[in-house]
Amino acid sequence: MLTMTKLLQPDLLLLVRDAIDPETLIRHVRAAEDGAVVTFDGCVRNHSHGRRTLYLDYEAYETMALGKIREIAGQIHDKFPIHLVAIAHRLGRLEIGETSVFIAVSSAHRPAAFDACRYAIDTLKRTVPIWKKEYFEDGAVWADGEMPPAPAETRAAKPAS
Amino acid sequence: MAPRWPAGYNSVVTIPSHTARIKVLFFGRLKEIVGHAEDSIELPDGAPIEAVFSHFGANHPELARFRASLVASRNQEFAAWSTPLHSGDEVAFLPPVSGG
Repeated sequence: MLTMTKLLQPDLLLLVRDAIDPETLIRHVRAAEDGAVVTFDGCVRNHSHGRRTLYLDYEAYETMALGKIREIAGQIHDKFPIHLVAIAHRLGRLEIGETSVFIAVSSAHRPAAFDACRYAIDTLKRTVPIWKKEYFEDGAVWADGEMPPAPAETRAAKPAS
Repeated sequence: MAPRWPAGYNSVVTIPSHTARIKVLFFGRLKEIVGHAEDSIELPDGAPIEAVFSHFGANHPELARFRASLVASRNQEFAAWSTPLHSGDEVAFLPPVSGG
Protein backbone atom coordinates (compact mmCIF):
# COMPACT_ATOMS: atom_id res chain seq x y z
CA MET A 1 0.00 0.00 0.00
CA LEU A 2 1.28 3.42 -0.91
CA THR A 3 1.38 5.56 2.20
CA MET A 4 1.66 9.32 2.38
CA THR A 5 5.18 8.91 3.69
CA LYS A 6 6.04 6.93 0.57
CA LEU A 7 4.63 9.57 -1.70
CA LEU A 8 6.85 12.14 -0.06
CA GLN A 9 10.00 10.01 -0.39
CA PRO A 10 11.99 11.56 -3.18
CA ASP A 11 14.30 8.59 -3.73
CA LEU A 12 16.60 8.91 -6.74
CA LEU A 13 16.49 5.78 -8.92
CA LEU A 14 18.31 5.80 -12.24
CA LEU A 15 19.59 3.81 -15.18
CA VAL A 16 22.32 5.83 -16.84
CA ARG A 17 24.63 5.59 -19.85
CA ASP A 18 27.21 8.12 -18.71
CA ALA A 19 29.57 7.95 -15.75
CA ILE A 20 27.86 7.82 -12.35
CA ASP A 21 28.75 10.71 -10.06
CA PRO A 22 28.64 9.32 -6.49
CA GLU A 23 28.64 12.80 -4.96
CA THR A 24 25.30 13.59 -6.63
CA LEU A 25 23.69 10.52 -5.09
CA ILE A 26 25.21 11.14 -1.66
CA ARG A 27 24.09 14.78 -1.66
CA HIS A 28 20.62 13.63 -2.71
CA VAL A 29 20.06 11.40 0.32
CA ARG A 30 21.91 13.42 2.95
CA ALA A 31 19.83 15.73 5.15
CA ALA A 32 20.06 17.51 8.49
CA GLU A 33 18.12 14.77 10.32
CA ASP A 34 20.51 12.02 9.18
CA GLY A 35 23.31 10.65 11.32
CA ALA A 36 24.65 8.28 8.70
CA VAL A 37 25.03 7.79 4.97
CA VAL A 38 26.15 4.32 3.88
CA THR A 39 27.23 3.83 0.28
CA PHE A 40 28.03 0.87 -1.97
CA ASP A 41 30.26 1.44 -4.98
CA GLY A 42 30.19 -1.50 -7.39
CA CYS A 43 33.15 -1.19 -9.74
CA VAL A 44 34.52 -3.02 -12.75
CA ARG A 45 37.18 -5.55 -11.69
CA ASN A 46 40.17 -6.27 -13.91
CA HIS A 47 39.85 -10.04 -13.69
CA SER A 48 37.19 -12.76 -13.77
CA HIS A 49 37.73 -16.48 -13.14
CA GLY A 50 41.48 -16.02 -13.49
CA ARG A 51 41.28 -14.18 -16.83
CA ARG A 52 42.20 -10.56 -17.44
CA THR A 53 39.09 -8.53 -18.19
CA LEU A 54 39.37 -5.78 -20.81
CA TYR A 55 35.97 -4.15 -20.33
CA LEU A 56 32.31 -4.95 -19.66
CA ASP A 57 29.12 -4.26 -21.56
CA TYR A 58 25.85 -4.00 -19.60
CA GLU A 59 22.38 -4.25 -21.06
CA ALA A 60 19.00 -4.13 -19.36
CA TYR A 61 15.32 -4.73 -19.87
CA GLU A 62 15.07 -1.07 -19.01
CA THR A 63 11.39 -0.62 -18.14
CA MET A 64 11.33 -3.74 -15.98
CA ALA A 65 14.75 -3.03 -14.43
CA LEU A 66 13.61 0.40 -13.29
CA GLY A 67 10.41 -1.13 -11.93
CA LYS A 68 12.39 -3.71 -9.95
CA ILE A 69 14.75 -1.02 -8.60
CA ARG A 70 11.69 0.96 -7.46
CA GLU A 71 10.42 -2.19 -5.72
CA ILE A 72 13.75 -2.53 -3.89
CA ALA A 73 13.53 1.08 -2.73
CA GLY A 74 10.02 0.43 -1.46
CA GLN A 75 11.14 -2.73 0.33
CA ILE A 76 13.99 -1.08 2.19
CA HIS A 77 11.70 1.73 3.33
CA ASP A 78 9.33 -0.94 4.67
CA LYS A 79 12.04 -3.05 6.31
CA PHE A 80 14.46 -0.50 7.72
CA PRO A 81 14.03 2.91 9.42
CA ILE A 82 15.93 4.78 6.73
CA HIS A 83 15.47 8.28 5.39
CA LEU A 84 16.29 8.16 1.66
CA VAL A 85 17.90 5.91 -0.92
CA ALA A 86 19.59 6.68 -4.23
CA ILE A 87 20.42 3.90 -6.69
CA ALA A 88 22.09 4.37 -10.07
CA HIS A 89 23.04 1.54 -12.43
CA ARG A 90 25.07 2.22 -15.52
CA LEU A 91 24.51 0.54 -18.91
CA GLY A 92 26.67 0.19 -22.00
CA ARG A 93 30.45 -0.20 -22.15
CA LEU A 94 32.35 0.22 -18.88
CA GLU A 95 36.11 0.30 -18.49
CA ILE A 96 38.11 -1.24 -15.65
CA GLY A 97 37.70 0.73 -12.42
CA GLU A 98 34.51 2.52 -13.44
CA THR A 99 31.42 2.43 -11.25
CA SER A 100 28.68 0.12 -12.56
CA VAL A 101 26.28 0.60 -9.67
CA PHE A 102 26.17 3.08 -6.79
CA ILE A 103 23.82 3.00 -3.82
CA ALA A 104 23.53 5.59 -1.07
CA VAL A 105 21.23 5.21 1.93
CA SER A 106 20.70 7.75 4.70
CA SER A 107 19.26 7.19 8.16
CA ALA A 108 19.20 8.76 11.60
CA HIS A 109 21.30 5.89 13.03
CA ARG A 110 23.89 3.81 11.20
CA PRO A 111 22.55 0.23 11.60
CA ALA A 112 19.52 0.88 9.38
CA ALA A 113 21.61 2.44 6.60
CA PHE A 114 24.16 -0.43 6.68
CA ASP A 115 21.44 -3.09 6.63
CA ALA A 116 19.37 -1.39 3.94
CA CYS A 117 22.36 -0.79 1.67
CA ARG A 118 23.38 -4.45 1.93
CA TYR A 119 19.81 -5.59 1.28
CA ALA A 120 19.54 -3.29 -1.73
CA ILE A 121 22.65 -4.50 -3.54
CA ASP A 122 22.00 -8.18 -2.74
CA THR A 123 18.41 -7.93 -4.00
CA LEU A 124 19.43 -5.93 -7.06
CA LYS A 125 21.92 -8.61 -8.09
CA ARG A 126 19.24 -11.30 -7.78
CA THR A 127 16.11 -9.65 -9.20
CA VAL A 128 16.87 -6.76 -11.56
CA PRO A 129 16.97 -7.75 -15.26
CA ILE A 130 20.42 -6.44 -16.16
CA TRP A 131 23.11 -8.52 -17.88
CA LYS A 132 26.83 -8.03 -18.33
CA LYS A 133 29.06 -9.35 -21.04
CA GLU A 134 32.71 -9.73 -20.10
CA TYR A 135 35.31 -9.03 -22.78
CA PHE A 136 38.68 -10.77 -22.53
CA GLU A 137 41.75 -10.78 -24.78
CA ASP A 138 40.57 -14.03 -26.38
CA GLY A 139 36.82 -13.61 -26.51
CA ALA A 140 33.71 -12.59 -24.62
CA VAL A 141 31.16 -14.33 -22.39
CA TRP A 142 27.88 -13.44 -20.73
CA ALA A 143 28.61 -13.45 -17.00
CA ASP A 144 27.20 -16.26 -14.88
CA GLY A 145 24.18 -14.77 -13.26
CA GLU A 146 21.54 -15.54 -10.68
CA MET A 147 18.09 -16.85 -11.54
CA PRO A 148 15.46 -14.49 -10.20
CA PRO A 149 12.78 -16.15 -8.06
CA ALA A 150 9.97 -17.09 -10.43
CA PRO A 151 6.30 -17.49 -9.54
CA ALA A 152 5.38 -21.10 -8.83
CA GLU A 153 3.86 -22.93 -11.80
CA THR A 154 1.29 -24.63 -9.60
CA ARG A 155 -0.31 -21.34 -8.60
CA ALA A 156 -3.37 -20.48 -10.64
CA ALA A 157 -2.48 -17.85 -13.18
CA LYS A 158 -4.08 -14.48 -12.66
CA PRO A 159 -6.55 -13.37 -15.32
CA ALA A 160 -5.44 -10.44 -17.41
CA SER A 161 -6.51 -7.10 -16.11
CA MET B 1 -27.71 -4.74 -9.86
CA ALA B 2 -27.31 -5.55 -13.52
CA PRO B 3 -29.23 -3.21 -15.84
CA ARG B 4 -32.24 -4.70 -17.57
CA TRP B 5 -32.15 -4.49 -21.30
CA PRO B 6 -34.97 -4.90 -23.81
CA ALA B 7 -35.26 -8.45 -25.08
CA GLY B 8 -32.78 -9.14 -27.81
CA TYR B 9 -30.53 -6.29 -26.81
CA ASN B 10 -26.98 -7.25 -25.99
CA SER B 11 -25.70 -5.43 -22.97
CA VAL B 12 -22.14 -6.35 -23.83
CA VAL B 13 -20.95 -6.28 -27.38
CA THR B 14 -18.16 -8.80 -27.68
CA ILE B 15 -15.85 -8.33 -30.60
CA PRO B 16 -14.69 -11.82 -31.56
CA SER B 17 -11.02 -12.09 -30.74
CA HIS B 18 -9.60 -15.51 -31.33
CA THR B 19 -6.00 -14.52 -31.65
CA ALA B 20 -3.71 -12.46 -29.49
CA ARG B 21 -0.78 -10.45 -30.79
CA ILE B 22 2.09 -10.74 -28.33
CA LYS B 23 5.24 -8.62 -28.23
CA VAL B 24 8.31 -10.73 -27.47
CA LEU B 25 11.66 -9.42 -26.20
CA PHE B 26 15.04 -11.14 -26.11
CA PHE B 27 18.02 -10.10 -24.00
CA GLY B 28 21.66 -11.03 -23.56
CA ARG B 29 22.67 -14.30 -25.13
CA LEU B 30 19.08 -14.96 -26.26
CA LYS B 31 19.17 -11.81 -28.38
CA GLU B 32 22.37 -13.09 -29.99
CA ILE B 33 20.81 -16.49 -30.71
CA VAL B 34 17.58 -15.12 -32.18
CA GLY B 35 19.38 -12.31 -34.00
CA HIS B 36 17.13 -9.49 -32.86
CA ALA B 37 15.82 -7.93 -29.66
CA GLU B 38 12.13 -7.72 -30.48
CA ASP B 39 9.58 -9.81 -32.31
CA SER B 40 5.87 -10.47 -32.25
CA ILE B 41 3.70 -13.51 -32.59
CA GLU B 42 0.01 -14.30 -32.98
CA LEU B 43 -1.37 -17.04 -30.79
CA PRO B 44 -4.83 -18.17 -29.74
CA ASP B 45 -6.09 -15.86 -27.00
CA GLY B 46 -5.21 -17.29 -23.60
CA ALA B 47 -2.24 -19.33 -24.83
CA PRO B 48 0.45 -19.71 -22.14
CA ILE B 49 3.88 -18.07 -22.16
CA GLU B 50 5.29 -21.55 -22.73
CA ALA B 51 3.67 -21.57 -26.20
CA VAL B 52 5.56 -18.43 -27.18
CA PHE B 53 8.84 -20.02 -26.15
CA SER B 54 8.01 -23.24 -28.00
CA HIS B 55 7.45 -21.27 -31.19
CA PHE B 56 10.83 -19.54 -31.05
CA GLY B 57 12.55 -22.63 -29.67
CA ALA B 58 11.40 -24.61 -32.72
CA ASN B 59 13.06 -22.07 -35.00
CA HIS B 60 16.17 -21.73 -32.85
CA PRO B 61 17.18 -25.08 -31.29
CA GLU B 62 19.99 -23.35 -29.39
CA LEU B 63 17.39 -21.19 -27.66
CA ALA B 64 15.51 -24.28 -26.46
CA ARG B 65 18.70 -25.54 -24.77
CA PHE B 66 18.54 -22.59 -22.33
CA ARG B 67 14.91 -23.16 -21.28
CA ALA B 68 15.79 -24.55 -17.82
CA SER B 69 17.86 -21.49 -16.90
CA LEU B 70 15.32 -18.88 -18.01
CA VAL B 71 12.66 -16.98 -16.13
CA ALA B 72 9.70 -15.58 -18.03
CA SER B 73 8.05 -12.20 -17.62
CA ARG B 74 4.70 -10.79 -18.71
CA ASN B 75 4.25 -7.02 -18.82
CA GLN B 76 7.49 -6.38 -16.86
CA GLU B 77 6.65 -8.78 -14.03
CA PHE B 78 8.09 -12.24 -13.44
CA ALA B 79 5.46 -14.74 -14.52
CA ALA B 80 4.85 -18.48 -14.47
CA TRP B 81 5.28 -20.25 -17.82
CA SER B 82 1.62 -21.23 -17.61
CA THR B 83 0.43 -17.60 -17.51
CA PRO B 84 -2.25 -17.06 -20.20
CA LEU B 85 -1.59 -14.27 -22.68
CA HIS B 86 -3.84 -11.72 -24.29
CA SER B 87 -3.45 -9.21 -27.08
CA GLY B 88 -1.02 -6.44 -26.30
CA ASP B 89 0.91 -8.41 -23.70
CA GLU B 90 4.68 -8.06 -23.62
CA VAL B 91 6.63 -11.24 -22.92
CA ALA B 92 10.34 -11.62 -22.27
CA PHE B 93 12.62 -14.55 -21.54
CA LEU B 94 15.24 -13.58 -19.00
CA PRO B 95 18.59 -15.31 -18.64
CA PRO B 96 20.14 -15.37 -15.15
CA VAL B 97 20.67 -11.74 -14.20
CA SER B 98 24.16 -10.35 -13.65
CA GLY B 99 23.80 -6.68 -12.85
CA GLY B 100 25.65 -4.89 -10.10
